[in-house]
Amino acid sequence: MNSPYLTYAGKRLAQAAIVILLAYVFTFVVVSILPGDPITSVLRNPQNGFTEEEIAQIVAAQGIDRPVLEQLWSSLSGFLTGDLGLSMRSSRPVTTMIAEVLPSTLILATSALALALVLAVVVAYGTQVLPKRYGQGLLRAFPSLFLSVPNFVIGLLLIHLFGFQLGLFRVINPDSAWATFFAAVTLAIPISAQIAEVLIASLDHEAGQDYIAVARGRGLRQFHLFTRHLLKPSSLPVVTVIALTIGELLGGSLITETVFGRTGIGSLVQRSVSTQDLPVLQAVVSLAAVVFVLANLIADLVYPLLDPRVKLSGTRALRPSASKPAGATSP
Amino acid sequence: MTDRASLLSLTRFSPARRRLLRATSAMTALALLATVAGPAATFANDAKKEGGDITFLIDSLGDTWIPNNSAISSFQGHIWGHVADKLLYVDADGKVSPWIAERWEQNVDATEFTLHLKPGVTFSDGTPLDAAAVVANLDIWYAGRKKDGINPIGLFPKTYERAEAVDAATVKVSFRKPTLGFIPTLGYHGSILISPKTLAQPASEQADLSRTAGSGPYIVESWKEGDHVTLVKRKDYNWGPPAVGHTGPAFLDTITYKLVTEPSLRVASVQSGQADVAYNASPQELSSLKDEGFTVATPRYLGFVNGFAINTKLAPYDDVKVRQALQAGINRQEIIDTVYTPDWKLATSFIQSNVPGATDQSDLLAYNPEKAEKLLDEAGWVKGADGVRVKDGKPLLLTLHSNPYLATSKAVDELLSQQLGKIGWKVAIRAYDVVTFGEKVKFGGAAVPAYEVTRSFIDAGTVAGILTNANNGENWFALDERDTTINDLRDKIAGASTIEARLPLLNTLQKYVLEQGYFIPRTQIVQRVYVQSPALKGEVYNGVAYASYYTATKSEVGQ
Repeated sequence: MNSPYLTYAGKRLAQAAIVILLAYVFTFVVVSILPGDPITSVLRNPQNGFTEEEIAQIVAAQGIDRPVLEQLWSSLSGFLTGDLGLSMRSSRPVTTMIAEVLPSTLILATSALALALVLAVVVAYGTQVLPKRYGQGLLRAFPSLFLSVPNFVIGLLLIHLFGFQLGLFRVINPDSAWATFFAAVTLAIPISAQIAEVLIASLDHEAGQDYIAVARGRGLRQFHLFTRHLLKPSSLPVVTVIALTIGELLGGSLITETVFGRTGIGSLVQRSVSTQDLPVLQAVVSLAAVVFVLANLIADLVYPLLDPRVKLSGTRALRPSASKPAGATSP
Repeated sequence: MTDRASLLSLTRFSPARRRLLRATSAMTALALLATVAGPAATFANDAKKEGGDITFLIDSLGDTWIPNNSAISSFQGHIWGHVADKLLYVDADGKVSPWIAERWEQNVDATEFTLHLKPGVTFSDGTPLDAAAVVANLDIWYAGRKKDGINPIGLFPKTYERAEAVDAATVKVSFRKPTLGFIPTLGYHGSILISPKTLAQPASEQADLSRTAGSGPYIVESWKEGDHVTLVKRKDYNWGPPAVGHTGPAFLDTITYKLVTEPSLRVASVQSGQADVAYNASPQELSSLKDEGFTVATPRYLGFVNGFAINTKLAPYDDVKVRQALQAGINRQEIIDTVYTPDWKLATSFIQSNVPGATDQSDLLAYNPEKAEKLLDEAGWVKGADGVRVKDGKPLLLTLHSNPYLATSKAVDELLSQQLGKIGWKVAIRAYDVVTFGEKVKFGGAAVPAYEVTRSFIDAGTVAGILTNANNGENWFALDERDTTINDLRDKIAGASTIEARLPLLNTLQKYVLEQGYFIPRTQIVQRVYVQSPALKGEVYNGVAYASYYTATKSEVGQ
């Protein structure tokens, strides 16, 4: 496990670093070619009463009229030394701004992921134990149903029902336990659908294997069979899906946060995009890239633990793809 | 199973029960109030009004908290008004009265002013609010620290020369030219007094609201960007403006400004008793809210009315007859009837009628479509088969850029499009977001025949300078040096050393600008609309229409 594993891990880390760097530069280029900048747009507020001449003076004093490459260089060298700089909009350190909103998003994302897992396993379990005629077909339709309903529709429905009708939470206090719970449910539903879809397919595949028939023949009870024999081998592709949905959790949280009025990474991105706050956007994009790359890295490291048959041949990981059942990876 | 059923029914019925409880407690409280009302209530001392927490729902909390860069924000100004004091107080009628400056004097030319400060005032970080602190504030208002990202206060007199501390309680301020506007500017929302310790900090630290020390009746307890600001009262505060009738500590314990971007959600939360004030409700909702018993406030700020500054360089608006036709072709009463409510007032000049020095020019703003059509005929614009007037093969076009800072702007534009359409105009409406608007729409811009103005000011004397290109003025009508009449008026107004000498000049200016069709008023502007729980009373609106809850109290009724 050691030598090829280390080479492999080193290569993957280097790739990850390049991905993050490219994401950083790409964000810079995209935002730079857009017309306007946050400082000028604030100064142009007619209430301020600045003349064009004064605006030009202030802009020049802050150095945002410098050549793009020069700005990119100073921004990049700051980034490489761990200095994310100041927000152009609020003048606050970008690290402070992210640290302020990160907990809210982390709470939402982790509880959503946990809920999604529970929901997916329950649905998948149902498809294995319910009689084919009653319920099973319905349960199998759940994932595609969940996937096709937009996130914000679910959120608004939940707010209306539980916030306004039943009064479980105050809409203006989105960080309360109930409000967080329903926000997590909103975010969990489409994610659980993706996990459930893959899990069901994988379970179906495993259930047809000889060892299950043997276990069944020995008279094992359904629940026991599911938890002891079926779930573990079927969960390999699920790990891949989870790794991929981590990115979706960050993206989907933008909509959920907006709908529920939570102040998290999503709302920070929204404010930064609408005011073209470049340093914050670059930091958030890099953060998302880091999370995405890390999640996939961890997924790769988890496979050998779940399935001893998974081996690292040379420096290429034999990772089961999400669409194919786990059996495909066995040597 | 039964357990769950009962639980469900409990949650299902609890709101109704809560409403019932709330209603009964409200009635009890009302009954109690009724028994103590009458002479006894008027003698109730301040101690009885003490306490209470309010939540103010607001649509934005702005971009940055650097005092200089955020004080004039229509949103953050609310917080600054409670955290910081001003040298002078300007009420809703533009009347100037003492606050931190107990009295002041000026020389004959209005180029030198002496301010005498109230003793014993301190900032919340313990620094005394003395002459040195005032000088530090005046300097940074005038110049900012541009390299550091700290902007000057845009409307602070640009004729400022220097300020010096004569002694701990006396400040002498000098100007390069007569500047009558200086005194009222001290009560303007941009002129907030901040501790010199805060002002000395770099921008990145000034941007952290909790590190900023003012001398106001409230201090910042906590804040989170894009979420909320909670203020807690300062117990040793004892220097409120005498004009509001109270100078001691505030009554309410805390004020929380909470960001809720959806307007209907803000109003619904006040209706359901979850919050006390909703900012910027839509005008259409106001009359039904009043009927439900909520307090609706639509204070006007001192400033320009909402209207168009016309670009006189751009054809056909270089023709005075076309501009005059535009002036007469707008039915302003219909704007109020259709888009707004009777709380909005007809424009009587191009400055709001509560500004000292504003004169009634209603005659020039009367709706007269016949006159407008006649003027257009005279100017050579002939009505075509489709009702649009044409001259030299070109249609009579007016492009309006809806002001993104005023929610109702587009609705008014649409109405104007109908009104002007009847007399042969073809109106195109462009609606941009704030960033694009700032990029593309400018006074006198090549494709901008009419710039929609929303702008407050404290002193009418500064107006003429803004309209023309003198002294870094904004040249609103792109006249440059072409109109000697307006430039002559501008110089005389700027040179006036007494308010009395200035009044007739201001009257002439207003008449001239409207006659020439340089400025086309729409309505007097209400930029801040408040919907408030009836339990909250005693708030005061200042000259820039910000609500101050320094004097407010909250009764138990309603919650």
